[in-house]
Amino acid sequence: MRAYKIATTPPMGPVLITADGDLAEQPVQDEKKLRMPKLTMSIPPQGDSGAIAEAAKMLATANSPVILADRACRSQEGIKRLVELAEALNAPVADIGGRMNFPTTHYLCRNMDKRPLVGQADVVLMLEVADPWGQFNTISDPHHEYRRLSKPDVKIIHISLGDTLTKANYQDMQRFMPVDLAISGDAQATLPALIEAVKSAAGMSQRAAIAERATKLREDHRRMKDRARAEASPGWDATPCSTARTSAQLYNVIKNEKWCVAVSSVQWNKNLWPATEYYNFIGGSGGAGQGYGAPAAVGAALANRDKGIITVSIEGDGDLMYAPGSLWTAAHHKIPLLMIVHNNRAYHQEVMHLQKMASLHNRRMDTAAIGTTIENPNIDFAKLAQSMGLFAEGPINDPAAIGPALSRALAVVKRGEPALVDIVSQGR
Amino acid sequence: MRILISTVLLFLITSIGLAQETPPAGSAERGHQTFMKYMCYTCHGTLGQGADRGTGPKLAPGSLPYPAFALQVRTPRLDMPAYRKEFVSDQELADIYAYLLTVKPSPAAKDIPLLKFD
Repeated sequence: MRAYKIATTPPMGPVLITADGDLAEQPVQDEKKLRMPKLTMSIPPQGDSGAIAEAAKMLATANSPVILADRACRSQEGIKRLVELAEALNAPVADIGGRMNFPTTHYLCRNMDKRPLVGQADVVLMLEVADPWGQFNTISDPHHEYRRLSKPDVKIIHISLGDTLTKANYQDMQRFMPVDLAISGDAQATLPALIEAVKSAAGMSQRAAIAERATKLREDHRRMKDRARAEASPGWDATPCSTARTSAQLYNVIKNEKWCVAVSSVQWNKNLWPATEYYNFIGGSGGAGQGYGAPAAVGAALANRDKGIITVSIEGDGDLMYAPGSLWTAAHHKIPLLMIVHNNRAYHQEVMHLQKMASLHNRRMDTAAIGTTIENPNIDFAKLAQSMGLFAEGPINDPAAIGPALSRALAVVKRGEPALVDIVSQGR
Repeated sequence: MRILISTVLLFLITSIGLAQETPPAGSAERGHQTFMKYMCYTCHGTLGQGADRGTGPKLAPGSLPYPAFALQVRTPRLDMPAYRKEFVSDQELADIYAYLLTVKPSPAAKDIPLLKFD
């Protein structure tokens, strides 16, 4: 019960229970005496009221406030509250994607414009941002030159439980980022009080100024959406298949379902698809390690199975090779997951770094393929999946074949079984 | 006299500009092979169409003027690695440029039904 309570108390996380051998071997003496202890959920901590009032004042008087949300919202209520805050301020929101935080259809959604927005902002509100420094700075590869993106006098507020998460001798921290107001508290639990404080803090003239921003923000949102579509069309009919086309084909197949993208190696889904529900995107691993995708997608599909949510994933081929046994688990336990393999036959994450290192050290530039490509032989992921009991199709080279293959795969998933479609794809 | 000097300068600048604008002769077929060999496609796509997350800008169709293209490859701005003459010759560069010039336009977003999301 303690483990369950810890796992489900914000900020939430995995809990491992180890039972020693003696305990595991001992028979239960009297089953009638077994009982489940009473579960009382902990109320998540809300930020300090004085600090919330100060944050509200900074936000209400800002000319160009921006909200960055990462692992902020864990339910539909959280999304609703964040919308309410953003509308109270007419502040654009960039959803960094640790969770599904903000509807992509809302006029204040500006996921693709995070960098210019941060550059123009006079106040930035971060909600549970895992890498604060990375939002305000860039770092070049391979020379590690830093460049500040934001104005030097930008005011930064961070509402997060991050400062309370120090729990081990060895822990990965992102680069330290000084902020002007750090509020230790759960972001979603703090939002209602912050919304009320913002409404109280804004005087007549500020309310008018806030309202005036709406027209331009609506236009900026529309432009961003147009840009996303324009960027998706080049290479539409290309072979290897365009990742934008794969994304669009996938949405076309699942758009009338309740859907969840558990894992995706491409950004198109978030930039193109209308997403409004908290379960639409579950965020990333947080650690960016290899091998997360397949087991995470199977786990999400298991969690979604009884909720009538169709779970899909766009899985990197390199990533899948770290834990292909997850496919057998999905088949064995009849876990309905529609997995697309984004098969670019490479670990593309590393290629450009290797090219830069070759250039820096005056070495041949065509050596970047060594250790980064997954060719000779090419992996047949459909056969790999079929060998473990999955319905699978591929390798697909013709973009016109993607849609029909996904429809057949969805029919299998709707019967309660996993399916895999291997699409030979562009690098990114 | 001032008009004459200005005219001569304008002529010289224009002549130099035109000379630089003319790309050297290249083979599109070899250029495609070179484009793939040096893995330009990992960031720019196999058709030079660009890629997800802004990792590589669109190169084709509608390439940069050759001097700007060559300048970017040799001494790149932003995150792109530099490709020196010792490893990617001027001829190979001209071949890649010739390949990019052969890329045909994709359908416009407004003409693709699957991109009408809203």
